Amino acid sequence: MAFADAPTYTVQWLIDRTSTVYSLPLFYDRLNEAINHPRTSVDDIGKIITEDQGLTARLLRLANSPMFGYFGKVDSISKAVTIIGTQQLRDLALAASVMGIFKGIPEELMSMATFWRHSIACGIIARALATWRRETNVERFFVAGMLHDIGQLIMATVLGELVRKMIEETQTEELLYFDVELKRVGFDHAEAGGALLKDWKIPANIADPVAFHHRPARAEQFPLEASLIHIADIICQAFELGQSCERFVPPLDGAAWDRLGMTPHQLGAVMKQAEPQIEETFAILTDAA
Amino acid sequence: MGLVALDNLGIGMVLASDVLDRNGRMLLGAGAELNQKHLTIFRTWGVAEADIAGIDYVDNELPLPAEIDPVALVAAEEALLPHFKHSGTEHPALRELLRLAAIRKVLHGLC
Repeated sequence: MAFADAPTYTVQWLIDRTSTVYSLPLFYDRLNEAINHPRTSVDDIGKIITEDQGLTARLLRLANSPMFGYFGKVDSISKAVTIIGTQQLRDLALAASVMGIFKGIPEELMSMATFWRHSIACGIIARALATWRRETNVERFFVAGMLHDIGQLIMATVLGELVRKMIEETQTEELLYFDVELKRVGFDHAEAGGALLKDWKIPANIADPVAFHHRPARAEQFPLEASLIHIADIICQAFELGQSCERFVPPLDGAAWDRLGMTPHQLGAVMKQAEPQIEETFAILTDAA
Repeated sequence: MGLVALDNLGIGMVLASDVLDRNGRMLLGAGAELNQKHLTIFRTWGVAEADIAGIDYVDNELPLPAEIDPVALVAAEEALLPHFKHSGTEHPALRELLRLAAIRKVLHGLC
């Protein structure tokens, strides 16, 4: 028999095991503290970021990428803070630094390149949908989209052998991955990812949509954000942009779609805008700085 | 009257009701005959569709890009269908995603 009888894991157990392996870079806490402090200046924030040269370079390239459209005009972090905004820059810094944290997952279990391509595509599409809706601070949608499957990574690290079996079962039985997780582990990667982000003290407007991206109807605090990530993930799967552990297009929550306020015909226009940004952003964020 | 998608609107069509932008601001009143400038303005302000007079049945399948072979498109859709096993294609949004994904496959020579 491939599996032990009953799942015996809890989310808390997983998070406890994870925090000994992975932690957010210290600068994120400092950055957050500085941003929330009423007397912080643009220069203070610039100083914290520029201590990390690799991060600084990636943020500047992001700020000059097609996502923002300033093309070479943002030549310093303080300028980036002024143009993009402090919270947005903090969210981008989070995105740019998280990718470096998860090392050591065997390539044959999960390809990091295709995993991050799927994640970044989801972030870009979520950002494009939010822009279309004229939401404020669209960077939080980018980060939530980019981190939506982060639970898969921590499960692959802590429960590697089980994840390999679950991927196999998903393929041979043609099942949805998060259904198999629920059956074998007792919770799914969405819940695990949300719990990890909360443990990292990431704001709830990012952690909650991650936790509920497969079940947006349960997101009480941030239903729009959760709906948007839910749809962006479905679009990524339909277009086969990158690849997570999931092999199929997840079922659509009709209420989440209605909340978006979009007609199906507008999807093409949003994707025309989003798709060219995916490769560019992927190149910027995966470039070893 | 019938709701016609933006990409299917043509010059000379007559509006059956007012066209509003997404904030509810009126862009063009009922009875107006569409010209090129109107279409540009609709696109700029994110109008998805307009109610056109004198149309009973609306085929809202958007026109295919000229370089797409309809036979190849059907083949691409069929190749993608197993992928949609758990989501189905009943919902209009998923139906549209399948169509867009198939067009993308054909255009990029992915099939």
